[in-house]
Amino acid sequence: MTYEPIWGSIIAWYLFLAGLGAGAFATSAFLSWRHPEAVTMRKIGHLIAPIAVGIGLVLLMVDAEAGFANPQRFFLLLGNFGSVMSWGVVFLSVFMVVALAALVLDFLKRPVPGWLENAGAVLALCVAVYTGALLGVCQTFPLWNNALLPILFLVSALSTGAASVLATSIIRHGEEFNRVGVLKKFHFCLPIIELLLVMSLLFITQSNSEAGWASVMALVSGKYALAFWLGLVFVGLVGPTILEVWLLFFSAKEFEESRLAHWLSFLSDAGVMVGGFLLRYLIVVAALPLPVAVPLF
Amino acid sequence: MTRYGMLIDTTNCIGCFACRTACQRQNGLAANIDYIRYEDRETGTFPNVGFEVIPIQCMHCEDAPCVSVCPTGASYIDETGTVRVDEQKCIGCKYCMAACPYLVRVHNPETGAVEKCKFCAAESFEGRGETCSCVEACVTGCRIFGDLDDPDSDLNKAIAERNALPIAGDRTKAKIFYVR
Ligand code: SF4
Ligand code: SF4
Repeated sequence: MTYEPIWGSIIAWYLFLAGLGAGAFATSAFLSWRHPEAVTMRKIGHLIAPIAVGIGLVLLMVDAEAGFANPQRFFLLLGNFGSVMSWGVVFLSVFMVVALAALVLDFLKRPVPGWLENAGAVLALCVAVYTGALLGVCQTFPLWNNALLPILFLVSALSTGAASVLATSIIRHGEEFNRVGVLKKFHFCLPIIELLLVMSLLFITQSNSEAGWASVMALVSGKYALAFWLGLVFVGLVGPTILEVWLLFFSAKEFEESRLAHWLSFLSDAGVMVGGFLLRYLIVVAALPLPVAVPLF
Repeated sequence: MTRYGMLIDTTNCIGCFACRTACQRQNGLAANIDYIRYEDRETGTFPNVGFEVIPIQCMHCEDAPCVSVCPTGASYIDETGTVRVDEQKCIGCKYCMAACPYLVRVHNPETGAVEKCKFCAAESFEGRGETCSCVEACVTGCRIFGDLDDPDSDLNKAIAERNALPIAGDRTKAKIFYVR
């Protein structure tokens, strides 16, 4: 039997954008706590969050063809609270309301109250974890059916979200970018944690079943190897880590605050985002099912 | 209570695919959609070799993962224990396809909804209509349909006599039993 992935790049974009939007809001909340003076960056996060999640939701609806053709059916989505997807719909809708409220307050030049920022941050975490749990409960696929995936998607969501805020701020607000050292240090750690999580996921999955082994092999030496090593590992994780180690710890302060260094940082953030998408895409398409009657591999 | 189930004796299956063809005709399916798929393999060692063909379709699981993940309630278990999809409710998110361990759900590109075996064999079993389901179409009589809750049913007797088992262990309390 040949197996075709059930979901493809549209769902990968959705998982990526939902995570990125959630991460961007969490970054804003972090900024208001540790860098209250970084007002513009905070607003950038508030702007990215609903846009990214909104685009993701549209993609999700387009992929759900029967619902797209009969939109009234989407009201049924709260029909089964045993389903992770129903929970996701709740998290996503409440998150969207909070993110849009923050955005409107920013536009009206009114302060965003701390409780709203915190509520949004908690919801952002729920959204990010949900994107992993969504796949995680599918017992058929060893690459998904484990407790690491929600954590991995959470870390990647925070990392891509922070990268989107940092990269956007570099374009026109270099001086503010120079002043958010704590955020940058946190952001620098995330790809390293993510790398550890990806490696743990692969190590454990390859050992738990033939299907797990085959999925991991498809990633590390099979048909997804180029995207995995070059795209995810190098461009998305190791490259940004090397650039940031150098910029944060081994370059002179004058250089770190120069425009050239800013654009190098931009490059590293862009890499993080490319890696974030590839992570979702590869996990979605590389997962192979457990055998039913006859061993598949 | 009625709890429908089926036995498939693959030792008699010749791999003619008549069940799939009958199913497609009975359910008005396009040629590229099938509720029955097949797994096969060579068995034994030379010179005593054989070829095993195993028809696989919805197992009408009692612990149905497709039902527990379906966000809209479109997938449900009816009073006869048959797992169904209400196509008027389905949004086509394909979550059930990812959750089904037997990979038997199909996405209908025309309606966008997800479909699968409906146990239409129940209709002629109950005398409700003329069907030519997989059960009637099988040229070697591999399939027995019946009520698992009726201890005297042909189905239960055959399951006991032939020692039939679910295809992949008791992962989901499947209600199709196989003789291999
Ligand atoms: S075989 Fe698949 S589609 Fe049928 S009830 Fe079980 S999980 Fe659902
Ligand atoms: S595709 Fe339809 S039946 Fe399957 S989980 Fe989604 S809404 Fe339910």
